[in-house]
Amino acid sequence: MMSTARQKRNIAAGVLCGLLIVCGAAVWCDFHKMIPAGREREITIGVFSDSYWEVQNGYSYYILNDAIELFEKQNPDVKVSYVSGILKEDYSEWLSERLLMGDAPDVFFVLPEDFNDLAELGALRALSPFSEEDEEFSRDRFYASAYVYGQFDKEQYALPYECAPKLMFVNRSILDGEGIPMPGGDWSWDDFYEICERVTKDTDGNGVPDQFGVVDYTWQDAFDSNGVELFSQNGEECFLSGSNVRESVSFVDRLESLNSGYSITNREFDVGNVVFQPMSFSEYRAYKPYPLSVKKYSGFDWECIPMPAGPEGDNISSLDTLLIAMNKNTKNAEYAWEFMKLLTCNEQIQSEIFEYSEGVSVLKEVTNSERTLVKLREHVEDTDILNHVILSDAVENAASAPRFRNYDDAVSEVDRAVRDIVESNSNISTGLTIWNRTINRKLKNNGW
Amino acid sequence: MDEHKVLDYALVVMKNLNLIIILYMVILMSFCLCGYVQENSALAFLSRIDTVPLAPWKIPVLAVTLYGACLLLMYIRGLNGFALVVRVTAEMLLCFCVSYLLGFSYSGIMLLVLADTMRDIPKMKRQFPFAAAICLFYLVIDFDLLSIYYNMIPFDTYLEYFQRDSRSVLLGIRNIIASLNTLIFIIYMILSVRTQMSEKERIMSLNKQLNTANDELQRANVRLEEYARESVKMTETRERNRLAREIHDTLGHALTGIITGIEACTALMDVAPEATKIQLSAIAEVARQGVTDVRRSVKALRPDALEKFDLENAISRTINEICTATNAEIEYCCEARLDCFTEDEEDIIYRIIQESITNSIRHGKADYIQIFIEREHDMLKIRIKDNGIGCAKIQKGFGLHHMEERLNMLNGRLSYDGTDGFAVEAVIPIRWGNGGTGR
Repeated sequence: MMSTARQKRNIAAGVLCGLLIVCGAAVWCDFHKMIPAGREREITIGVFSDSYWEVQNGYSYYILNDAIELFEKQNPDVKVSYVSGILKEDYSEWLSERLLMGDAPDVFFVLPEDFNDLAELGALRALSPFSEEDEEFSRDRFYASAYVYGQFDKEQYALPYECAPKLMFVNRSILDGEGIPMPGGDWSWDDFYEICERVTKDTDGNGVPDQFGVVDYTWQDAFDSNGVELFSQNGEECFLSGSNVRESVSFVDRLESLNSGYSITNREFDVGNVVFQPMSFSEYRAYKPYPLSVKKYSGFDWECIPMPAGPEGDNISSLDTLLIAMNKNTKNAEYAWEFMKLLTCNEQIQSEIFEYSEGVSVLKEVTNSERTLVKLREHVEDTDILNHVILSDAVENAASAPRFRNYDDAVSEVDRAVRDIVESNSNISTGLTIWNRTINRKLKNNGW
Repeated sequence: MDEHKVLDYALVVMKNLNLIIILYMVILMSFCLCGYVQENSALAFLSRIDTVPLAPWKIPVLAVTLYGACLLLMYIRGLNGFALVVRVTAEMLLCFCVSYLLGFSYSGIMLLVLADTMRDIPKMKRQFPFAAAICLFYLVIDFDLLSIYYNMIPFDTYLEYFQRDSRSVLLGIRNIIASLNTLIFIIYMILSVRTQMSEKERIMSLNKQLNTANDELQRANVRLEEYARESVKMTETRERNRLAREIHDTLGHALTGIITGIEACTALMDVAPEATKIQLSAIAEVARQGVTDVRRSVKALRPDALEKFDLENAISRTINEICTATNAEIEYCCEARLDCFTEDEEDIIYRIIQESITNSIRHGKADYIQIFIEREHDMLKIRIKDNGIGCAKIQKGFGLHHMEERLNMLNGRLSYDGTDGFAVEAVIPIRWGNGGTGR
């Protein structure tokens, strides 16, 4: 039989051990953060100071401040704060550091290039439990293409905040000069190629071509508009051997060869020597004749239309989306969700995007509203430049890319492949098959 | 030095080594994390790993807390059964948590748990399931295997913060401490096995001693039995001698007197009848004296069976003996307690039964005898009935007389009937207990 002294010591050790375990569990699960300082709860926001669209517009925190004011009015016991002054180029590093130190904000903006990494790391809170329970929330209000941008591995980890589709900018002055009619919204690659072929010429007679068809038209643009699904959803397979890929690569090759080896820069478009340039809508807005912006393209008339459709695709382009996500370890998830909802689903806040930012609202009703159209046209003399329907269609139909961790590496590998095939002038089919095998091997072994 | 003490020291060393290695690893991990943040390479670090690590301050705090809890559990001793299983399971879970904090890059704590459990469970047979479970756990805690189920950051990845040379040195130091821990564990196990073996040897030698003692005891027993047999024989001889002496002293004396007297009477009868009468009455007196002496002798010779057994057994035994010696059948039925009588009473009851049976067989030529003993109020009633020739006119012999006489001494009664076989009924008042319960 155990002696009573031994028994007493055992019980003491057991109780102490239990206490230690409870303390450990409390530290592990951040219970200390759940004790609110005073009666006020605080949620923190991670945001960068300049525009996502690389424009210094001076309006950086306008929308956020308005949202905070609105939120604090609705929830008087919650205080919302953010650290100001973090530049966009430092933002990813700043966010990573906060995550490593364990004091990341409750809600933070996520740059598209960081999203896959953060989701894979498990730094983001899955949002379906909130969206399913919240009756006010409806995903149908978002553009579907923008909404799926926040998905990773079939789970919603982020909500879209603002987006910008890629559109084709057309130099109408050249087309008018050449007597070519403006292409319609449903134009095809053949139309595109024909125009490029017709306008590429040497206008001043010095033997060097100085007027070109297109600049910056990449294989990705071609893939998007020709219905190419480049990777499997889990990112373990690459589909480079399809006929639509072959067509796309060959089309890019043909366009390139029109320039007879002369490499064209963006500047050529700026000075009015190129007819087409694919451009993000945000760039259009940044450079449109606007008091604070540079009047960059004032020397010629221009217009934007959807991207040309490939034989197996549609007039589809890619979409750039700024996301907003919730910290996985947040202790104020309910409020964080409310705030995210306010930023992304509130019509007033979303319509401010057209006022203070260069993107497009992710809500259909906001982007389609007359008020938005009025705002967009405020400083544009020629009201025909922007067709309201084109914009909405471009967002709605944007191509969506699969989400996996090494997506960017995989894309740059495909880029290398296409460049290699185009430059080597070898058989496209063979080249694609060989590269497909190489890339698949890397995808499967995670060998980046 | 005492072997058990050495084992305890080895355990203490292992505990300290584990603390050192845990501290070393968590401090390095926290240092690296802070370093990454300081040098603005957090993004690059995050892109290399699969999960967001815990905050730098949390890793050491948690690791030390959980390891401390584990040590406290090890302090609990002397548990059994279910409590022991719970304790060991809790220790293993805590170790799992600590290993998790270390990115499953160190699992030597399981060795400590194993050593400690072996120390606490002394019996080899019971050690086995625990040892098997802990070993299995130890084998499973491996980064490469567990990284399928848990997203973790291996220790090496943290160390990528350092230059290659420093990294090798730092990893080397950790490996040395870990190997030291393993080495001490091995030494501990060897010592532990040796201690258990010497324990076993000691038990075996004790066993041998016990066997020798047992043998000697057996031999002594045999001698004792022989002695007992001899002793019985000697008692028998002594008893026979005593009987012979008694007979010689009493009966011999009286009979001699009687014979001599009768011879004198034969010679005198015709000559002097009066003198003869006087002589005869003298002879009668001698004979009476002889009877008194015989009675005294018989009284001194208490029945053998009663000396060895209690009354009930003595009766059964006598009945059995008679049954086997003659071909009479005896039905014995006792419905009263017989264990509360005094020695005299026991003697009388036994004698009545013995005498009656003897009479039935010798005089009645009976081959079926019934014996009933029952209690009637405060009386014990003994009825002996046989199917013999009976006897129309009863002549009281020595036996019946003797019985009557004895019963009178106890205020009892004796009645008999010789019309249908022979029946004797003895009634003895019960003196013990205040009407104690009869059966």
